[in-house]
Amino acid sequence: MFKKFSSEEVSAQNQVKASVQRKIRQSIADEYPGLEPVLDDLLPKKSPLIVVKCQNHLNLVVVNNVPLFFNIRDGPYMPTLRLLHQYPNIMKKLQVDRGAIKFVLAGANIMCPGLTSPGGVLDDEVEAETPVAIMAEGKQHALAIGFTKISAKDIRKINKGIGVDNMHYLNDGLWKMEHLD
Amino acid sequence: MADKPQPVRLLYCAVCSLPAEYCEFGPDFEKCKPWLIKNAPEIYPNLLQEANEKEAEKVSERLQSVGISAGGADEAAQPSQPGETSSSKKEEVKRLPGGKIKKKEKLEVVIEKVVRNRRKCITVVKGLELFGIKLTDASKKLGKKFATGASVVKGPTEKDQIDVQGDIAYDVVEFITETWPEVIESSSSLVLLSYASMLHFLYSLVFSFIAQRTIKFGMTSV
Ligand SMILES: [Zn+2]
Repeated sequence: MFKKFSSEEVSAQNQVKASVQRKIRQSIADEYPGLEPVLDDLLPKKSPLIVVKCQNHLNLVVVNNVPLFFNIRDGPYMPTLRLLHQYPNIMKKLQVDRGAIKFVLAGANIMCPGLTSPGGVLDDEVEAETPVAIMAEGKQHALAIGFTKISAKDIRKINKGIGVDNMHYLNDGLWKMEHLD
Repeated sequence: MADKPQPVRLLYCAVCSLPAEYCEFGPDFEKCKPWLIKNAPEIYPNLLQEANEKEAEKVSERLQSVGISAGGADEAAQPSQPGETSSSKKEEVKRLPGGKIKKKEKLEVVIEKVVRNRRKCITVVKGLELFGIKLTDASKKLGKKFATGASVVKGPTEKDQIDVQGDIAYDVVEFITETWPEVIESSSSLVLLSYASMLHFLYSLVFSFIAQRTIKFGMTSV
């Protein structure tokens, strides 16, 4: 999604009103309870919360020029990788084997066999249409943010085709957009 | 409310911006390597070793040509003083495994011969800027004098150096002392070293110079 993303794709940039800000805050807190204690630091009530609307119905939540979350249409908010690296345990994790790393970093969606092979790890609790952190065999840090197409159990059972959509990965356009001016 | 989790501060590569452990999958791992050796050696323990092994391979490939130059250089080494030789030998050995980094304080001009595919080589001149010599000027003069290509390039430790095409290591010393009299030769010595457990021949010609300060010339073929 962010493969060719750049600031040129921003179509509107708005400071949202307080009620919307509360709503965004609430849905982030619901989705990532682990973040709740630091939510006041991340999204200070006093600093303006900017929602940047981009092409393809993509929204970025930006505070102090730093993109922190994104979502599509009214979908769940997902953290940027830079934020996830700071709070690595806020999301459920799936792990791909080492062979899949280079494909994921090229923007490919995550195929089931990459998760079910000996190098992969599947968390059976993960349901379909859930934001997940994509980890990799032998690595400590997430390399992508995914959105599951089917549940982890189905990934194991079906074991072919795309299991998780690759939403955001290391070195894509959003990664390179450390600051938004 | 639960305890506040502290944000993890992750080491991102200064070259490719990825977490250091992902450099190997980044756009240009080769470019990241010098930074990684310096800042994240624990993540890639093989890097340093790999670098040394590569060197060793290159060296064994060109053993013959080194042998030839060693013969020629021996004569030039006649006036060397044994005491001095061994002390400079020690310095060279210590410096190299650390990645040839700590040269900043030392006021010396280092001339390095880098051999590529047996016969072709490049002479690298480092440290002229320490004497207030403009590198762009110097590279032009060197190119003109030896009728070859010479350019100022960024060295591995982000310092500028001059790369000259061809082997001019022996003549360049004379040329430098004549062109820039502030660099004065006082004595010279030749050292042939083998380094670490590698097939690593450090072939080094060390000249010492005294201007108002003590100055050294080293020639290494690594
Ligand atoms: Zn790197």
